[in-house]
Amino acid sequence: MTTSRKSAARRRVGSDKVQAARKPSRSGRKTARPGKGATRAATKEAIRENIVKAALALFQTKGFDATTTKAIARKAGIAEGTVFNYFKSKDDIALHFFEQEVDQAMAAVRDNPRLRKAPLEEKLFALIHAQLEYLAPYERFIGAAMIHALKPSSPLGPFSHRAMELRHRYLRFVQELIDESLPQKDNAFGFLAPEVFWIYYMGALLYWLYDASEGKQNTLAFLDRSLNLGAAMLRQGKRYGR
Amino acid sequence: MRRALSMANIGVGVAGSYLGYALQRAFLGEAERERKLKATHTRAARRMADEMKALRGAAMKFGQTLSLQAGTLPDETLVELASLQMSAPPMHASLVRAQFKQSLGDEPEKIFKEFSPEPFAAASLGQVHKALTHQGDRVAVKIQYPGIQQSLANDFKMFRTLTKPAQASGHIPRTAIDEVEQQILAETDYRKEADNIEFFHQRLEPLGFIEVPRVLRKYSSDKVLTMSLMKGQHLDDWLARRPGQKVRNQLGERLFELFYFQLLQVEALHADPHWGNYLFTNDARISLVDFGCAKYMSRATLGYLRSGFLYPGSIHSPEFRRLLEKYYEEEGRELQPATRRALIRFAGNFYRKVYPPDAGRQMAFDFGDPQFLKDFLAASKELFRTKGVLSELIFMARAEMGMYQTLHRLKAKVRTSEIVRKYL
Repeated sequence: MTTSRKSAARRRVGSDKVQAARKPSRSGRKTARPGKGATRAATKEAIRENIVKAALALFQTKGFDATTTKAIARKAGIAEGTVFNYFKSKDDIALHFFEQEVDQAMAAVRDNPRLRKAPLEEKLFALIHAQLEYLAPYERFIGAAMIHALKPSSPLGPFSHRAMELRHRYLRFVQELIDESLPQKDNAFGFLAPEVFWIYYMGALLYWLYDASEGKQNTLAFLDRSLNLGAAMLRQGKRYGR
Repeated sequence: MRRALSMANIGVGVAGSYLGYALQRAFLGEAERERKLKATHTRAARRMADEMKALRGAAMKFGQTLSLQAGTLPDETLVELASLQMSAPPMHASLVRAQFKQSLGDEPEKIFKEFSPEPFAAASLGQVHKALTHQGDRVAVKIQYPGIQQSLANDFKMFRTLTKPAQASGHIPRTAIDEVEQQILAETDYRKEADNIEFFHQRLEPLGFIEVPRVLRKYSSDKVLTMSLMKGQHLDDWLARRPGQKVRNQLGERLFELFYFQLLQVEALHADPHWGNYLFTNDARISLVDFGCAKYMSRATLGYLRSGFLYPGSIHSPEFRRLLEKYYEEEGRELQPATRRALIRFAGNFYRKVYPPDAGRQMAFDFGDPQFLKDFLAASKELFRTKGVLSELIFMARAEMGMYQTLHRLKAKVRTSEIVRKYL
């Protein structure tokens, strides 16, 4: 985590989730600095959010593939050209949404003072749960995005530079959480854990998407039980460490 | 252990099995426990009993009622099983919040003025947290472990498969499994429990020494139950203060009266005798806290129970025999001679001793003597062997056994027949 993000996180302590969710994106961060351009920056940020909101609403109702940038512009009440001032493509909008999702979830874990002393399984539960809560209103779109991401040329795909960067940032955070609970030097499996966690997270996401139980009760139980098991396995790994 | 683990997976869907929770916990702690076992050389039998107690699932609750009679477990374990709780895995604060929000739409910290993230008690299928409402009421908030209903349903599917032989032989009537499944699945809906609490709150009022919580419907759902916080101590703590014989007798008589008042006047029973469900005060008042398992008795059953209680004539008479036959006719079964003999021995060796029918004799039965529990278990076992299990009475029997266990621990002397006669 960079110093600037750390201080941003500190400033947000005590703020609620909605505020945390509005955390400026990577590209928006430099404009969020208070000063002369503050008003203009705020307007720009508002437009950006407006575009994302319009796009997500369309992704959710019309489907990701059927949504055009033209339709997004119309829904947001701006010219199509303006959309391109902010985003290169609709994939870019989607990626922006996923960046926000990850940022707010990491902030939700970091900003909760009680979680600092919590066991690893609870921290990871809080992280994934915050992500799922953020994604919940756009469930239909998430499923489509996962399939879309499989196209080799897709910016959402696992090999695109930005998607990779986002994943690294997320997994670095997971590694931090693991290290806090189980220092790497006495944990033989520790170095593998984030990679395994990524696969687990994808599985959890799929489980959640297909969970037909009332209020997605089974997902909660699944996360709780599997994370308990996973954390216990990591702790077992400690014995084989140096 | 491993075999049990794979057994738990037979025909179990994605939600897994309730039994699986318990097994998973047992599995996770296995390495640690194994070390301890080696160090202390605990006997295998002892370990077996621990394992059984650790399961605490649907099958265990069921097991209490049925294995009770099978004679495979030591008597003390059987008595303990009567009051085992259907405990769920512990939930950390983040899961509690998620589950609460899922059910009531907002986080507990927002709905209540104060909410304790740490539970203060385990409850059936969940755990209980203290909270303070914005109106200033101190409340207990019971929160259910997610997905437990489906897990229990899965367990019953497995249980039905495993008990096929016992069903075929008639030792476990299918109606008995239906009865237990229905009762236990009902426990997973806290709205039903809220209904039970309100019912008993009103109906137990005349007794004057019973406290039943008040439900706060506004903060309750099928998975969250908010009720007023009750006063009193659990039996162990209450006994630790070494109360005198007089107050122990008083409490014993009240518990006893509570049982028969419910059965004969209210015609419904608080049927979960777990020690955590009772709180006692210094002046022998009783608070009931968990109404997940309530058994509403049918009129017909109560009719024949009434005529059987304190039966004045000879238990070897044709009239008594006719009465016993009616018990079984009610469930569409024929009373077999072996079952009849077992019932007559039950009446003679247990009920006649504990509940002498002679109206002239004023007698207080001493529950401190362990012999009565042995007699009760021996008679129950024989009844099971002779296929005498009555579905309608499973939960009454469980509550009755729980009561005897508490009376024994209190070493109370109770005017049994006199109290029963009051409500006949």
